[in-house]
Amino acid sequence: MKGKGKLLIVFFGLIAISGLLIPSGAWAVKEIKIGVIFPLTGGAAAAGRELRAGTELAAEIANKVYPDLPMAMAQNAGIKSLGGAKIKLIFKDHEGNPTLGADLAKKLILDDKVDGIMGCYFSSVTKTVSSVCEQYGVPMINTSSTSPALTKRGFKWFWRTTPHDKWFTKDLFEFLNGLTDGKVRGVKAVAKKEITNIASACEKTEWGSHVSQLIAQLAKEYGFRVRKSILYAAKSTDLSSEVRSLKAARPDVMLFASYTSDAILMVKTLKAQRAHPKIIWGQDAGFEKPEFRKTLGDNIVGILTRTVFLPKVVEIKKLAGLVNAMYKEKTGNDLGGASARAFTGLQTWVYLLEKAGSTKPADIQRAANTIYIPGKELVVPWKGIKFSTSGDEIGQNTLGSGLIGQYQKQKDGTVGLEIVYPFDVSSADMIYPFPGY
Amino acid sequence: MDILISSIAAGVLIGMVLALVALGLTIIFGVMDIVNFAHGEFLMIGMYTGLLTAKAVGIDPLLALPVAAAVGFLLGVICYYGFVKFLLRGPMVAQLLGTFGLMLFLRNLALLIFGSEDRALHHGLLVGKSFDLGMGVIIPATKLAAAGLSVIAFLAVWLLMNRTKLGKALTATSLNSQAARYMGIATERMNALAWGIGGGSVTVAGALIVNFWSVNPFVGLLFTMIAFAIVALGGFGSVPGALFASIVVGLIMEIPGIWDFLTYTLSWDWMINVPMTSFKYTFVYLAYFIIMVIRPSGLFGWKH
Repeated sequence: MKGKGKLLIVFFGLIAISGLLIPSGAWAVKEIKIGVIFPLTGGAAAAGRELRAGTELAAEIANKVYPDLPMAMAQNAGIKSLGGAKIKLIFKDHEGNPTLGADLAKKLILDDKVDGIMGCYFSSVTKTVSSVCEQYGVPMINTSSTSPALTKRGFKWFWRTTPHDKWFTKDLFEFLNGLTDGKVRGVKAVAKKEITNIASACEKTEWGSHVSQLIAQLAKEYGFRVRKSILYAAKSTDLSSEVRSLKAARPDVMLFASYTSDAILMVKTLKAQRAHPKIIWGQDAGFEKPEFRKTLGDNIVGILTRTVFLPKVVEIKKLAGLVNAMYKEKTGNDLGGASARAFTGLQTWVYLLEKAGSTKPADIQRAANTIYIPGKELVVPWKGIKFSTSGDEIGQNTLGSGLIGQYQKQKDGTVGLEIVYPFDVSSADMIYPFPGY
Repeated sequence: MDILISSIAAGVLIGMVLALVALGLTIIFGVMDIVNFAHGEFLMIGMYTGLLTAKAVGIDPLLALPVAAAVGFLLGVICYYGFVKFLLRGPMVAQLLGTFGLMLFLRNLALLIFGSEDRALHHGLLVGKSFDLGMGVIIPATKLAAAGLSVIAFLAVWLLMNRTKLGKALTATSLNSQAARYMGIATERMNALAWGIGGGSVTVAGALIVNFWSVNPFVGLLFTMIAFAIVALGGFGSVPGALFASIVVGLIMEIPGIWDFLTYTLSWDWMINVPMTSFKYTFVYLAYFIIMVIRPSGLFGWKH
């Protein structure tokens, strides 16, 4: 009897030890809830649809097995280290409203008990939502808000995968310098005085007003002259006086930071006013949305936009091609800057959870601060994902990079983006100067 | 100089369109002493009517104007018989709050039906086209057409008011509705007609404006405010005052352009980055405020 008692103790002891060895989450977690806050209605609804589709595709890939996709998250159904727990997305629509975004974040945290948050596209909304996450100690991944200030707040629960506007705007001025140095494919060196006068019009929320400041600051550093900088409301239904004011400055280069409907309205008004600068450049967002291209058609040939993803990337990156084909089947569109980054954002969530092996915020925080996702796992043409944990940009991915594309007529008659910067990966000769209207 | 000419031309053209916007407001006030807060929402409905008719039937947006006029007229008459008629029995404040409620109702109805997304016309005979007057002065064709048609519509309403029996009956009702009733004028029908003409003219203005503005359910408020400023400036109830004040307001909206002209003519760099375009409507509201303080009856006003 005594021997049997010992045997029982050893047996239960072994069970207890085996229980300790397996992460607690693996037993308990069946699904992981990620709250996703995007602008699904309003002026940026088109972007919202793209962001949502990109996020959903990443979740689909994470939750099922796709052996042909050369990425780690496609090889397991669900999060392996959490016993195959599936990702469940809970979408909320912030309508471009920072206060509403903060309310939705609270609701997601308190009512839906989400394990983490992703969003919000608008920097202004990301700012308020991330403050709520910081207050409640809930991890938040930001995929496509590019105001530099967001990662300068020293937040402990906020990580941003996309490069931010300072990098992108620097790319622009490097590109302009390249133009004067004759580095741009298909364009002979341009005299600097030909492109020295700049005018900018940026929407006036957190994002656009920062871009406007960056343009002014970097123009000075690079020796260009800002002749006019305008801030306007993205919800404007008429931009004719803004465009007249831009034209009055007689700029060589017109720079814009616009969301979708205002980007379309801006170009329509530029056309109606027959603006003819030598260069028109958009800071991504509205300027690279499928709606922008579909609505304006040939009127955008020659316009430049910075982005982090162009369909041309598909030709140089096999993984991007495969994911793009799935995305196109789902939506009818190619991946764009917003959808590719949303995909990458949710992918980052999957890798973080895999590394953390737990849904406890502290474990996710530890994983985020030490994670390294190599570039070959990503659809975007970055070196990878690794978040800064010190210095003045805590939570910023340090391995991202940007592209500048130009709308050109394709062989099939459609209008598409060609890479013109970085110079070593340019996919076509640049059209210079802008043909005008 | 091209900056100045372009700005003045743009101000005059938009002023002509705004005249039609303000006309409805001033007629309704003139006849019935009711300030219609839902006026901008009527315009928003006109914009959607123009846009959707053009898209659904595949015709040029300018050809959708009769549809917009009919929709506006009917909407005005329905609003009168279904709603405003009852408001008239209440005190002034009930009338104010009543049309304010109508504004909220129409706006939210549009939100329910059309969603909050901006919609715009991208195709049409004149959309995106412009005339180059030389010296760098560009006039967008849609604005020129809208201004011309707006003036025609404005004159038609003015002739109706001043050269027909019906117009005289309307004027009589607005001067003294009780006396008009004694003279055999069906004043209730005149009131409904005022709402019909007011609704029709502002929806036509909306269908013209949608050729170069985008529309969403919230666009009305801006126009209500501008129309109030125009009517306050021109004088409540005054039709010629509305035309004059509209052009003044159009020019006030172009102050940023005049500022640019001075900036680049005088080469004063400090003026370059003064954000004048952000304040274009502020100048209008400022003018509204000043006129209300110094001359509450407006420049041509006769109603007290």
